[in-house]
Amino acid sequence: MTHTQKRILINEIVMALSTLSAIIGIGFLLWILGVLVTNGLEALSTTIFTAEGAPPGNSDGGLKHALIGQLILVSYAALFGVPLGILAGTYLSEYGLKSKMAETIRDISDIMMSAPSIVIGAFVYAIVVAPMGHFSGWAGSIALAIIMIPIILRTTDDMLQLVPSTLREAAFALGAPKYKVIIQVVYRGAKAGILTGVLLGVARVAGETAPLLFTSFNDNFLNTNMNEPMASLTVTIYNYATSPYEDWQQLGWAAAFILSMFILTLNIIGRLFLLKRKGR
Amino acid sequence: MATIVEITEPKALEVKDFEFTYAKADAPSIKKLSMPIARHNITALIGPSGCGKTTLLRSFNRIHDLYPGNKYEGEIIFKDRNILTPKEDLIKLRIQIGMIFQKPTAFPMSIFDNVAYGMRLQGIKNKTELQGRVEKALQDAAIWGEVKDRLKHDANGLSGGQQQRLCIARAIAVEPEVLLFDEPTSALDPISTGGIEELIVELRERVSIIIVTHNMQQAARVSDYTGFMYLGELVELGRTEEIFVTPRERLTEEYITGKFG
Repeated sequence: MTHTQKRILINEIVMALSTLSAIIGIGFLLWILGVLVTNGLEALSTTIFTAEGAPPGNSDGGLKHALIGQLILVSYAALFGVPLGILAGTYLSEYGLKSKMAETIRDISDIMMSAPSIVIGAFVYAIVVAPMGHFSGWAGSIALAIIMIPIILRTTDDMLQLVPSTLREAAFALGAPKYKVIIQVVYRGAKAGILTGVLLGVARVAGETAPLLFTSFNDNFLNTNMNEPMASLTVTIYNYATSPYEDWQQLGWAAAFILSMFILTLNIIGRLFLLKRKGR
Repeated sequence: MATIVEITEPKALEVKDFEFTYAKADAPSIKKLSMPIARHNITALIGPSGCGKTTLLRSFNRIHDLYPGNKYEGEIIFKDRNILTPKEDLIKLRIQIGMIFQKPTAFPMSIFDNVAYGMRLQGIKNKTELQGRVEKALQDAAIWGEVKDRLKHDANGLSGGQQQRLCIARAIAVEPEVLLFDEPTSALDPISTGGIEELIVELRERVSIIIVTHNMQQAARVSDYTGFMYLGELVELGRTEEIFVTPRERLTEEYITGKFG
């Protein structure tokens, strides 16, 4: 076999292997989505959105309590997490620069991003749930916010640093004070990127179960009081899917379907923003 | 010692024994440099890469202050005061001494908002006044005809040459006394370059101009005075026609005849 033939053969083997791997990966993803969509659509009905939890054997149960609980938990988490994440990212990119302090914060938030979320749940259990003496919506939102912050912080930092420094200099050269340069020029230049970070951060925490098990726990009925345990789609999926009752399992499928569609939509919107940014 | 020609015009700026050291650098990038800048004239700074001409230019509006650790010594006199003192109000200074950069720096906003940016910073809110001054600035920058029907459009949709003229409009809208040009045409095509050069020459009526350029023909075409810098020092400052025809320093002659650089 000549060198060229050998090279072509190796090239084809590598290409075949990587294509096969890609197909396997995508295949599993489509399989999951397929099962989710068939079972989820089958389980969907109007009562799902209007009724609260019901005892097993009762077919008129719904997910209203979990849907609303999930929205409240994620909204409060975003209320804490988004401003903190954006401001911290602004500090890193605009004030901290390459200082030791800034680099340390970057390292720590990278570690936090890969920390198991159940650890964060346990941490919030220790600092919020235990002193309060009971589970609460607040504890759940705090846990989700803690998971969200490093994601938003790092994307904000990265996106602000993509804004060319000459743009900042040009604004300073017109006599702009620093805060105006940041708000009027730098934020504007990084708008799409920051928004993407926020959407991806929200999408990430919307799918978390483990930290909520320890914090907001669950409730079978509608509760909007953040001082009380609160239902969420993820914990509901966990409870219903592992139950032995057929109708609860059906509700679990419906919850999984709704949650997945919500997160998928957020991710797609986020990525569209990113594409728009790159396209410019 | 540098050879510096006698300047008959009033001075816009005067550099005295100026030294500049970048953060973490051992040696100063500019050494004991003194030079006058004639008012309502165009002074070109030429010299090989790394000679310190951009560093000097960026000292006039103290844009170096954005990065911590840089150090100035000596004096730069502007309106009877040394602008290198810590108590200098940099916001006011930068309104009086504007700057145009190598790459066009259109802000991510509309054409109108770009030109109005500096005026709004100064607290001008009156709509008619803003409109009038934006139009005037765009006319003075010779770009009004091209953009008057799309003032609300994103400024990043303009071509490079148009963006650079937009940046000039933005800078002159606040009526500075000095304009600093940092290689303003090195990112542009020859036709846009010609337009910018014409504009710079016209602006001389209203502002004192300092331009850093790598392009010796450009210095010869537009400037009244030319300063030749080498290794952080000023070698010669003279009237442009003299620098290019009868330089007094051998180093200047070697540089302009292309023996090094």
